[in-house]
Amino acid sequence: MRTKTPHIVVTFASTDEAMAMEETAREQGIPGRMIPVPSDISAGCGLCWSVPVDDAESLTASLESAGLSYEGIHVVDLY
Amino acid sequence: MDTIDARGQECPLPVVRAKKALDKIPSGTLEVLVDNETSVGNLQKLAKSLGCTSQREDREEGVFAVIIEKGEGAQEVAADSPDAFTPDEPNLSDAVVVISSETMGVGDDKLGKNLMKAFIFSLSQQDKLPKTVLFYNGGVHWTVEGSEALDDLHALADAGVEVMSCGTCLKYYDLESKLAVGEITNMYVIAEKQMTAGVVVRP
Repeated sequence: MRTKTPHIVVTFASTDEAMAMEETAREQGIPGRMIPVPSDISAGCGLCWSVPVDDAESLTASLESAGLSYEGIHVVDLY
Repeated sequence: MDTIDARGQECPLPVVRAKKALDKIPSGTLEVLVDNETSVGNLQKLAKSLGCTSQREDREEGVFAVIIEKGEGAQEVAADSPDAFTPDEPNLSDAVVVISSETMGVGDDKLGKNLMKAFIFSLSQQDKLPKTVLFYNGGVHWTVEGSEALDDLHALADAGVEVMSCGTCLKYYDLESKLAVGEITNMYVIAEKQMTAGVVVRP
């Protein structure tokens, strides 16, 4: 049975920030992927970065060290 | 004897897979491995409803094997017979999704690719999934090696959704050997699936 599991979702104020996230992630091998913003969250940009909660620390550390701008960090249940 | 390894898969997936395999052969033996009693019972009911015999073998570590024998001339029982059996697929709707392009919408192709990728992801997030997703023409680029939608398509296939790509199109784009998820299909099936769908969704 598919079950939803908690994911960290990083939202951005603009598409530029979201694109910067994706590019940096690709270059530095940061875990996660780009997904459309889930309906339970509102954000400036319709794309967000998502990672299963297990990778949360790795992600937040990378956000800091890469100096990436973001709007917010949420926890959402996703399949 | 063919074996279907359905360990780790919950009902009705083992039954759906067994039925598909049995429908394809005129006769033969099929072994299905499962790890729960519910599936054992349902596989035996399926065998009976298809006019086959079945035998159960309890293997070690909570694994069960159901060995189904289909004889020549095995006949599926009538739909109104007490032995008829259709597994519920509570997670699947009767919708058929048709993906006929690498892009979603008309305007900008780069945006279009990102939109289609987001659509396929969103599909995987639905509580009720489509019964079938058909890929043809440019759409076959999504089911081959290198596609950015493979993880989501695998998730759909694992949940019991039929993922089917047109063989003629794969050949045309020289991608036949690169199919990475789902099966190859043909125009008869593509027409039939759409005709018998409750709704056809074309992103």
